[in-house]
Amino acid sequence: MKHPLDRTNINNAWCPGCGNFGILKLLKEVLTELDLDPKNTVIISGIGQASKTPYYIDTHMFGGLHGRAMPVATAIKASNPSLNVIAEGGDGDMYGEGGNHFMHTIRRNPDIIHIVHNNMVYGLTKGQASPTSQKGFVTPVQVKGVSSEPFNPISVALALKAGFVSRVNIGNYAHAKTVLKEAFLHKGYALVDIFQPCVVFNKVNTYKWFRDNTYELESTYEKNNLLSAMQKALENDPIPIGIFYQSERSTFEEHFRGEDKKALFTLSHDLKKLQALFETY
Amino acid sequence: MKKMNVPFQTTISDPPVSLPEHTDQKYTPTHSISILIGGAAGTGIMTLENILSDAFKRSGYFVFSTKEYMSRVRGGSNTTLLRISDAPVNAPCWHVNLFIALDADAISHVHERLTSDTIVIADESINNEEIAITSMPMLETVKKVGNIRYANSYVAGVLFAMLALGTEILSQSIETLFDDQKPQENETAMQEGFSYGKSLTSSQLPKLPAPVSGLDNSMHLVNGSAAAGFGFLLGGCNMITSYPMSPSTGVLNFMASMSKEFTLLVEQSEDEIASLNMVLGGWFSGGRAMTSTSGGGFALMTEAMSLSGVSEIPAVIYLAQRPGPATGLPTRTEQGDLNLALYSGHGDFGRIILAPGDLQECIDYGYLAFELADRYQMPVVYLSDQYLADSISMIETVDFSTYEQRRYIKTTEASYHRFTFNDTGISPRGVPGLGEGIVVSSSHEHDERGQSTESYQMREKMVEKRQQKINLTIAEAFAPKVFGQGSIAVIGWGSTKGAIDEVLKELNDPRLFQVHFSWVHPLNPEHLEILKATEANIVIENNTTGQFADILKSYDVNIDHRILQSNGFSFFTDQLKEKLSKIIKEEK
Repeated sequence: MKHPLDRTNINNAWCPGCGNFGILKLLKEVLTELDLDPKNTVIISGIGQASKTPYYIDTHMFGGLHGRAMPVATAIKASNPSLNVIAEGGDGDMYGEGGNHFMHTIRRNPDIIHIVHNNMVYGLTKGQASPTSQKGFVTPVQVKGVSSEPFNPISVALALKAGFVSRVNIGNYAHAKTVLKEAFLHKGYALVDIFQPCVVFNKVNTYKWFRDNTYELESTYEKNNLLSAMQKALENDPIPIGIFYQSERSTFEEHFRGEDKKALFTLSHDLKKLQALFETY
Repeated sequence: MKKMNVPFQTTISDPPVSLPEHTDQKYTPTHSISILIGGAAGTGIMTLENILSDAFKRSGYFVFSTKEYMSRVRGGSNTTLLRISDAPVNAPCWHVNLFIALDADAISHVHERLTSDTIVIADESINNEEIAITSMPMLETVKKVGNIRYANSYVAGVLFAMLALGTEILSQSIETLFDDQKPQENETAMQEGFSYGKSLTSSQLPKLPAPVSGLDNSMHLVNGSAAAGFGFLLGGCNMITSYPMSPSTGVLNFMASMSKEFTLLVEQSEDEIASLNMVLGGWFSGGRAMTSTSGGGFALMTEAMSLSGVSEIPAVIYLAQRPGPATGLPTRTEQGDLNLALYSGHGDFGRIILAPGDLQECIDYGYLAFELADRYQMPVVYLSDQYLADSISMIETVDFSTYEQRRYIKTTEASYHRFTFNDTGISPRGVPGLGEGIVVSSSHEHDERGQSTESYQMREKMVEKRQQKINLTIAEAFAPKVFGQGSIAVIGWGSTKGAIDEVLKELNDPRLFQVHFSWVHPLNPEHLEILKATEANIVIENNTTGQFADILKSYDVNIDHRILQSNGFSFFTDQLKEKLSKIIKEEK
C-alpha cells in the first residue's frame, strides 16, 4: 500500500511478516491524521531492526549510534522547539544499550515521543536475549534460558514520574493508533512501548501470544494516579495495555527557553554585551 | 513553512577566516618576584590569591598565578604561585623569593622550592629546625579581630608592607572582593598585618620593578578557563552539554554563569556518552554545541567522535588534559592526551586539533573551533590542560567585533540531498525546518541522500569525499608561530608556549628560536620545511613519550632532543632553562 510519507527508492531490510511493518504503517497514519508536517518532523533512531524505521518514512531523520537516540533527540528538540521530535528503537537499543539515557531523558521531560518496538529478543544480531526477554527464554547465548529478571519499562518510567506512560500491542492496531495519537498530543516526554513479534527469532512471543496475554485497560481506569498505575504496571498475567499514567508538567525546553520557540540557528549572541562582560575582568 | 532568517549565512566558497592581528608585545621585563602561598584546601589560599592578584594589578604590575592542588575538598597541602613583573609573565618558576606558609604542613610540602635566599613567613606558632622563618602573630591577631577567616587579609597586609607598597590599593581590593562578606573586619585584619609587616627588619626581598602606568585599565586578569569560554561564546556557542570532570569544569561553570546573559543551553548530562551525542543533536538542528571533558570522559566519547566523522555533523570538544592512565592525577597537569584525541573513534575520518598556548590563543582558538567545525563539518578538539585552565594571567583588551561571524547553513530546496558530491567534499549542510528539503543523517555508510547503502561503489565515493575534506583542512591549516630566528628550533605545542618563550629570552643564545604549534592537527607539510633547514630540533612537551615529536617524525622532521616531563607539574622556567642549557652545550 502506497502512502504519501513513504520514502521512495528504498530497499526495506525487514523480514516478511515482521511486526515492524505494522508500526511503520501506524506511525505514517498517525502523522498524516494529526496533520504533522514531515518537513517539521525529525525521527531519531539508534541501531537495530526497529531503528531502521526512519529510513522508510519521509521525514527528517538522524540515524545515530546504538542506544544513543535519546540524548540526540533531547538536544534536537532543545535547539529547535518547534520541531516534532520522535525517538524510535527497539528494546535492546532503548532499554539495554541506552538504559542510562532512558532514565535520564524521562527525568528531563523533553517534549518528545519515545517509541520502543518491544519484541523481547535481539533481531539484528540474530536471536540473543533482550532486556525484556522472559525468564527461561532459550537462545544460542542464553543456552540454559534467561536467568535475569525482565526489564519492566513501564514501572521504571513510572518510578521516574514520566509524564506519559503507555504500552500497546501492534496486533491490536486500532487501540495502538488511539494511544499513539494521545502520545503525540501530550506535552512532554511520552513513552509508547509497542509489543511486536519477531517472527524469525522469537517463537514464544508471537502475534497469538501477545493477543492471548494482554488486555486493554478498562475505560473506567483513571490514568492520573501514579500508585494505581504502578500496580497495573506490575501485572503480568495477563499484561495490561493502554495509557498507564498521564500528567503534564513543564518541559526541558521550556526550562531553558520559556515560551521562546525560535530555532537556535536564527539567533546570534550580542557581541557588545560579550565585550562589556569581558571588560569587567 | 515560515521563512526563517539565518544570520551570517555563508558557504564553503568563502575563503577561510583569519584571526585578527594582535599588537606585538610592548613591554620589556626588568625582573620579576615570585611569591608562593601554601596551606590546606579550604583555608582560603584562593582568597589570598584573588586579593593579591587584584591589588598588584591595581598597583601597576603584571601578575601571573598558578596553582597545584590535591584531589580533595578540605585538608592536604596546596600551593598557589604568584609572579609579579613589569612585563607579561606566562609561566611558573620552581624556586621562589618569598614563601607564605599558612600552616606547618605547607613547609614540608614545598621545602624543595625554597633556596637560602627565600624568605619564609609563617605564624609564630610554626617552628622549623632547618628553615629560618620570619614569624608573624597571624592567628592571635585575627582571632582578636573576630575570626580566623581574616587571616588572608592579614597576610596580604604583611606582604604589602614588606614590599614597601601602601595600604590604599589593598583596601580597594579588599572592599571589592569582600563587598558582601565583612569588608570592615578584613580591612582591620589587613591594617594589623600591614603595621606588623612594617616592623619587620628583614628586607632581603628583591625590590619590585617600577610599576607600569595605566596598566590597570588596559589589561584584564583572566584564567584559561574563562578565556576559552569567551572564545567559545565569540564562536557563537549556544549549547554546552557536559559531565563535570576536573580540570574541565572551569569552562562548564563559566558557560553556566554566562547562560544568564545569553541564549545558551547548559545541561549536565548523565555521562560523557550522552554529552557528545547531545552535541551532535544540537548541531544537527542548527545549534552551535560543545562539550567539556578530560581524558577519561573523552575516552567515553570516542564512539560519538566516529559518528561525527561519518555523518559529517560538526562538534566542538573542549578537552582539558590531566595525567592518566585512568584516574591518574585528577587535579594535576599533562599533555598526555594528544594521541587519544588524534586516534579517537573507529574508522578513518577527519578532525582538527587545536591547542592554545596563552590567553589570547585561548580566545582565538575557542572562536576558531566553532568556525572550523562548521566550515569542515567535522569534530574539532580543543586541547587545554589543568595548568592552562587554572592559571591566571593578564591580557590586553580584545576587540570582539573584529572576529568575522559565519554560519555555514543552507536553506534547502525540495530536491536537497545532504551528502551531495562536489569538488570540495563539503556538501552544503541543511538543518530540519529551514527550507523545503528533507535532511537525512546516518551512522551507516550512505548515499548522497543520506540513505544507508552497502554499494561498494558508493562506499568508495563517500570515502573519497571524506578524504577530500581532510585534504582541504590540510591546505587551509594554520602555520606554527615562529619567534626569532636561528639554527636550533625549540619546538612546543599548547600550554608550554610561555615557559619556552621566557627561557629562550633568558638564555639569549642567538642559535635558538621558538616554533610553536597551536594548530596541532592536521599539519601541512609545507609548514614543516622550516624544521628541515635547522641544525637541530628540540621538542619540549609535557608527556612521557613525546607524542607530538613522534608526529613530527612521521613527516620526516629530525628530532634531535626531547625534553619531556610527566610529574604532574607544568614546566618551571628555572628547571627548563637548566635542561635546555645542558642540551645546547652538547650542540656546540
